[in-house]
Amino acid sequence: MNAPVLNEDMRLMNGNHAVAWGVRLAVPDVAPLYPITPQTPILEKLIEFQSQGQFKAELLTPESEHSAMAGCIAASALGARVFTATSSQGLLLMHELLHYAAGARMPIVMFNVNRTPAAPWGFWPDQIDSLSQRDTGWVQLYTENPQDSLDTVIQAFRIAESAGLPVMVNHDAFYVSHSVEPVSLPSADLVQSYLPRQAREIKLDTTIGRSVGAPVDQVQWNRTRREMQIAMAGIADLTVQAGQDWAALTGRKSAPLEFYKTEGAEIVLVTMGSMTGTARDAVDRLRADGVKAGLLKLRLFRPLPLADLRAALARFGTALVLDRNYSPGTGGVLHQEIKAALFGMDDAPGLHGLLAGVGGVSVPVETLEALAREHLGAPTSPDPIWVE
Amino acid sequence: MNEQLSPLWTHLSSENRLTGTWRAALPNYQDQPSPCLGACPVNGRIATWIGQVKNGDIHGAFVTLADNNPFPAIAGRICHHPCETACNRVEHDETVGICSLERFVGDAALDQGWAFPAPEEERAQSVAIIGGGPAGLSAAYQLRRQGYAVTLFEASGQLGGLMRHGIPSYRLDRAVLDGEVNRIAAMGIDIRLNAEVMDEAALERLRAEHDAVFLATGASRPKRLPTLDYDQDWIVDSADFLAAPQDEQIARTGAHVVVIGGGSAAMDVARTCRRLGRAVTVLTLEPEGRLPAQKVELDEGAEEGIGFVSAAMLHSASFEGESVTAHCIRVEFQPGAQRGQFRADPVPGSEFTLNADTIIPAIGQDADLARWAELLDANGPVIATAPGWQTSAPGLFAGGDVASMERFVTEAVGMGKEAAHAIAGFLQTGIAAPVPEIAPQVGYDRINPAYQEDHARTHQPVADVVARLASFDEVQEPLTEAQARKEASRCFSCGTCIFCDNCYFYCPDMAITKLEDGGYSVKTDYCKGCGLCVAECPTGSIHMQEDEAR
Amino acid sequence: MEKIDYTDTGQFCSGHVACAGCAEALAMRVILNEVGTDAVGVVVPSCTAVILGGHPMSSAKIPFLHGTLESAAASAAGVKRALRAMGRDDTTVLCLAGDGGTYDIGLQSLSSAAERNEDILYVCFDNEGYMNTGGQKSSSTPKSATTGSTPLGKTTRKKNLIEILAAHRIPYIATVSPSHLNDMKAKVKKAKGMRGMKVIIVLIPCLPGWGVADNAAVKTARLAVESGVFPLIEVEDGLTYKVAQDEKKHPLDDYLAQQKRYRHLKDDDRAELQADVDASWSRLIGLAAM
Repeated sequence: MNAPVLNEDMRLMNGNHAVAWGVRLAVPDVAPLYPITPQTPILEKLIEFQSQGQFKAELLTPESEHSAMAGCIAASALGARVFTATSSQGLLLMHELLHYAAGARMPIVMFNVNRTPAAPWGFWPDQIDSLSQRDTGWVQLYTENPQDSLDTVIQAFRIAESAGLPVMVNHDAFYVSHSVEPVSLPSADLVQSYLPRQAREIKLDTTIGRSVGAPVDQVQWNRTRREMQIAMAGIADLTVQAGQDWAALTGRKSAPLEFYKTEGAEIVLVTMGSMTGTARDAVDRLRADGVKAGLLKLRLFRPLPLADLRAALARFGTALVLDRNYSPGTGGVLHQEIKAALFGMDDAPGLHGLLAGVGGVSVPVETLEALAREHLGAPTSPDPIWVE
Repeated sequence: MNEQLSPLWTHLSSENRLTGTWRAALPNYQDQPSPCLGACPVNGRIATWIGQVKNGDIHGAFVTLADNNPFPAIAGRICHHPCETACNRVEHDETVGICSLERFVGDAALDQGWAFPAPEEERAQSVAIIGGGPAGLSAAYQLRRQGYAVTLFEASGQLGGLMRHGIPSYRLDRAVLDGEVNRIAAMGIDIRLNAEVMDEAALERLRAEHDAVFLATGASRPKRLPTLDYDQDWIVDSADFLAAPQDEQIARTGAHVVVIGGGSAAMDVARTCRRLGRAVTVLTLEPEGRLPAQKVELDEGAEEGIGFVSAAMLHSASFEGESVTAHCIRVEFQPGAQRGQFRADPVPGSEFTLNADTIIPAIGQDADLARWAELLDANGPVIATAPGWQTSAPGLFAGGDVASMERFVTEAVGMGKEAAHAIAGFLQTGIAAPVPEIAPQVGYDRINPAYQEDHARTHQPVADVVARLASFDEVQEPLTEAQARKEASRCFSCGTCIFCDNCYFYCPDMAITKLEDGGYSVKTDYCKGCGLCVAECPTGSIHMQEDEAR
Repeated sequence: MEKIDYTDTGQFCSGHVACAGCAEALAMRVILNEVGTDAVGVVVPSCTAVILGGHPMSSAKIPFLHGTLESAAASAAGVKRALRAMGRDDTTVLCLAGDGGTYDIGLQSLSSAAERNEDILYVCFDNEGYMNTGGQKSSSTPKSATTGSTPLGKTTRKKNLIEILAAHRIPYIATVSPSHLNDMKAKVKKAKGMRGMKVIIVLIPCLPGWGVADNAAVKTARLAVESGVFPLIEVEDGLTYKVAQDEKKHPLDDYLAQQKRYRHLKDDDRAELQADVDASWSRLIGLAAM
């Protein structure tokens, strides 16, 4: 492994600006953008970069997120590198086109700032907006802090363009989007070497004249989904590789699943997004108090890295899944997903689904610490538990 | 299909899908006769030659015209133009001025001195033609074109027949008549003027000397009103009058002339008299609006000051004191089933008188059939003929006024053409060739008016009345070339492809191919049989027909 | 007669699945040939998309993105921006949509693209209803016309898209008809030569949707133009109106009589529609005179 980069360009910035920096460095060709709280700083920063001549992408500012995604798909169909960003209602408005983008195998990168959907109106961190898009065929990654967001959005282009699938990177409203932290900026040359332009094999091309998306019969439609399955099956490895290559250049490691103090752990907290930071503190406190606790951070949600997840969880007696989302009628989406992932395992851990932080309510470290103690070795229930 | 290709991307042209299988009917390009052709006594290809005029090909128009009629300049002046009555454009606004265009072409041919070509081959067989009027000249022309030796016998000293002796020069300039007659004579026809009277013996001699004979002696015996004493010098025969030199016409007429009859001959007499300075009253059996003369003659006659007394008949006439008193009575006129037949019932108590110096009856002429009674069967007033104008004597054909009551110059020209066709068949096979059937004609419903020129008809200029009455110069003046082409552009070209490419461009399936030599073909692989090409054809020259391959 | 004069270079191929006699295919033929080879297309769900597509075949030589119904103009903008980013700004972006995708669900994205003056040539095949789904009303369906969703006749007027677009002050708006192919060709050529947003509305008498005979689409379109119900116009910069004809040559009845969708009308209804056409015509002539 190469030595970490010296003379780092460290700057204080919030999560959204870190995303904008990552996008600037990835040099997309076209960026359709529509403002929405709390995504707007991404848009504003990119436009600021452009006005300063530092960001040369075609900026398309249409009347809606729906049209922004339509523009993304069209530009991507021409072979352009495309980026957009949104949040909550905007993502939900795009829903139809999320299916289209994935079905058409357009390697679009989108950043979503997780926020509560109406009604009632709210602007708080909650992941149900993106989790409810899990069946659209997008790769979904979740980050926990501004640096993670910058690193991941750059890696997302690599994954998308390698797999021919769109990638959505998510971070939580305000906890990440608006919290200012020191961020290490990679150089433009570094990112360029990490993200070489790959010629697209098939695209809209006047010299070939092939059209995309024309009506097909049942068998051909079925084939498109089988081909997506094959592409999805390669995402975990691509994500691993993207993380390793990035680490080689920057020294910052990342993986589909990340572990913290799980050596010999009897209970593990499973998190996604900004909750991870709080959980890390809780693990530290529990360990200090002699409780064998660890942390499993799920970075890649779609496709769920099933094999790695099953192997990892088999090592623990108890797993506490922390869901900052609520799927009415079932509970936490992550809890459902992991329950399903563990299906048929003899050595599955005792699994508890905690609805922690739904709607952006605060989940202090003390609460997590107490919950871990409470559930360690406790009998499990398939039902979710609302955290007070 | 290659299973490796992504179902997201097309990779074949739709030309792999043969939509011709959807079709029930297929467009068929076939020119069809126009109604003017059907109505034309010579079945002239009017739509074709008018199209040539439109495109500026005047010589081509002449060649097309002359195929059926060697007298375009004459017919363009005096034809009764049933073509214009039949013209589909009547449904749209007003007929195309076909006669004026025909005259334009005919005049151009005379001006340019265009001759008829020599026959492609000379044939040994010979035909005798008796009568140098329109029927005889037409037959002579058609037979000579085909290479037959033609000997033409004319009783008078000049060719032309009724065209020369019956039609005044203000309707038909003598130079035009001479030009068109001489053009036929120049084809190598043996012309015998002042020929002997053709009695039965003469006919039999000609039959022996020639392979076929065509009899076209016309109708030269004036019909007579039984109540009139034709020996009176104030009664003048119309045919004699029209054939007479001008000084004789002046000598034979007084200041006020009553002309009896409503046909073209009556109008010719009346208008000639007006040019001699006579006051003229025309007395007709037919009510106003139903006179058999052409409308243009009646209109111009009225302009020239002719008085009309219609729906009345002459009962008797007598010279009383200084003038003639014509005793007349009103009639109820009923036309009969055929041309020339009618009933006229006097209306009791409607008697009236007209004063005149001269009475000129012009009520028609009969053929003199008595001289051939032994040889030829008659059909009423005319020689009986089978189709193809074959008389009861084998090898002897008859046409024109002697064989028909269709007493128009162009009818006679048409009969001459048909007889020539029959004679040629007879000479080649021993059987008179039947007159070809004319296919059903294209109706107005087949014409797409959207593509037709919308400008109004360009009429020929007419000389003003004062000038007309001061001379025997032609009343109708010719169209200029620009006017002719503009008028020609009004023609719908019914049933005649004008190569406009509408069918090609209006095909939603790109199933029409333009052929290199003009014309079009249908790609049966793709034609869905919608019929848009037919609907958007301006001329009705395509039709849908059931696709037998299906 | 004026000969139709354009060169078919084979940009639109035989074997497409338009109904026999479809005027839309006729118009596509003119438009695709006039737009030529240096073009990328966007098409959204409509008869047009069906005519163009059917995997694995395409009836167009240029590539098309088969986008989503409400996204025609946004997709076209995306194509244009990608081309621009690649240094191919001269490539024409042709966007094809129906009236449902234009007047209704796509109006929002169309308005936005118009406001941004995106450099696209947008063609709306206006058959006055959702004909590809079997014939329901759209906001382009004229008053009194019956459709599957207005069985007694639509009670409100056709949306005036031209004036909506004119209010955006885009460089070029035109109406064209499959009965006037030279005019269509000339307007497509003119629009192609302009930069910015161009919208061409093509009236398409739908054979099954309007109840028009298989061979009568062109005739019906011609009567629409000549009766003044669909005049051929151009609007430049949203201000300068030009009308191709001086007068209405036919009463509206001649046009209505071609179509079953107006068969239920009584004399009073027809008179009311005629009055509407007369009023619109006067207004248009007034705009053209300004």
